[in-house]
Amino acid sequence: MIHIKNLQKQFGTIHVLRGISCDIQEKEVISIIGPSGSGKSTFLRCINGLEDITSGEIEVNGFKLPDAKTNINQLRESVGMVFQRFNLFPHMTVLQNLILAPMDVKKMPKNEAITKAEGLLVKVGLIDKIDAYPNQLSGGQQQRVAIARALMMDPKVMLFDEPTSALDPELVGEVLAVMKSLAQEGMTMVVVTHEMGFAREMSTRVIFIDQGIIQEQGSPEQIFTRPQNERTQLFLSKVL
Amino acid sequence: MAFNWQIVEEYTPLFIEGAKTTVQCTIICVILGTLWGLTLGIGRTASTKYGLWKWVLYYGVQWPVKIYVSAFRGTPLFVQIMVVHYVLMPFFLNPRDGLLVSDNLISVATARYWRSEYGAFISCVTAITLNAGAYISEIFRAGIESIDKGQMEAARSLGMSYGSTMRKVILPQAFKRMLPPLGNNAIAILKDSSLGAAIGLADLAFAARTSGAAYGSYSEPYIVISIVYWVMTFSLSLLVKYLEKRLGKSDSH
Repeated sequence: MIHIKNLQKQFGTIHVLRGISCDIQEKEVISIIGPSGSGKSTFLRCINGLEDITSGEIEVNGFKLPDAKTNINQLRESVGMVFQRFNLFPHMTVLQNLILAPMDVKKMPKNEAITKAEGLLVKVGLIDKIDAYPNQLSGGQQQRVAIARALMMDPKVMLFDEPTSALDPELVGEVLAVMKSLAQEGMTMVVVTHEMGFAREMSTRVIFIDQGIIQEQGSPEQIFTRPQNERTQLFLSKVL
Repeated sequence: MAFNWQIVEEYTPLFIEGAKTTVQCTIICVILGTLWGLTLGIGRTASTKYGLWKWVLYYGVQWPVKIYVSAFRGTPLFVQIMVVHYVLMPFFLNPRDGLLVSDNLISVATARYWRSEYGAFISCVTAITLNAGAYISEIFRAGIESIDKGQMEAARSLGMSYGSTMRKVILPQAFKRMLPPLGNNAIAILKDSSLGAAIGLADLAFAARTSGAAYGSYSEPYIVISIVYWVMTFSLSLLVKYLEKRLGKSDSH
């Protein structure tokens, strides 16, 4: 469902991604790990066009990048994104945050959107916060709302950009729990994360990125217990 | 010195009409100036990452707006009113060869009527709007740029278009931050409208000048209009404060 061929990305003279190729199948849960500054987040942001790519090709659910014929908004409808900093809309209540995009983009009737939003809020355990504003919520609650907001669009794949990195340690668990239940329901997920526990337990494949290329990939078991690449070994020895 | 308040008393209807004109001119200028400023402000921030459009927007939109803003902020409003009234207006609205007439958009009689009845008003509103737009565009630009770029990314990631994101996510937040400077701007417009008296706009300042000239004594009328202007600007500042409070509600928790 996602095909990436020789993806390169330069910011000015800095070569962040130096040729990444990978295919992601439906229902895969992929954890992307690696040192900070290795290009993990940039890689993720290229997939939904938040960063324009310097060279290479990306195909997501049949939409090609870069391609003048691709409607980037349509591509993004089918790709949910969850950010490190949540990025909820602070001037809207939780409910308004959820129903905005479906009503604006998909022209979903308001009552239908509200019903759907209520269902998702039950799922992430925040139905009692439906009328709260984001700044009345804890970081963990905000991130769960952000996940529900992305799910409102019925995405075929969810991208998570370090979803727990901005959270206090005691709030990480509640967000990971929501992500786990998503994975169990068969959602295709690409997760940039520092949570090795999640990567190990939940992912179907782990990708280790360093210096702008995929250094090693494989099953969690393979990567965490028998890493072949020297850099992987070094990285894991520091974080485990 | 002795004040002769009879001057003001005798000319009360002129002062009242003048106050109405000042208020009308201010309201119209604030509305048009804000819309024009928003347009310019979006033009000033318009950019894209992709090939040809990047250059079109940069040289075709961003730069002209920059030059416009620089020119209107760099020349006195008084001079701008003169230029609009004596250069721009005859160009469009001259009964003989104005563009609107020669293009048959309006008849000669209409042009003549408009010019004599509303000439000063149209010139004044045009000049102040063009001028205020330049200042307001900077307020909009600063307001838009002050919003975290994660907001744009989040909305665009949900599939929303640039325009929708601007209208529903960025501008409502930016507007809240822009309200205090916009309020100051509205007050400036109210005060600046007094310059219109120089081209014969029958506003408050004009009432003071006319009544003063009739009696050869200017102190009384100008003291009176000072107070009236002050009351007007003070009320306006109260209104702005009230709006700020109401709009600030949602994120003041």
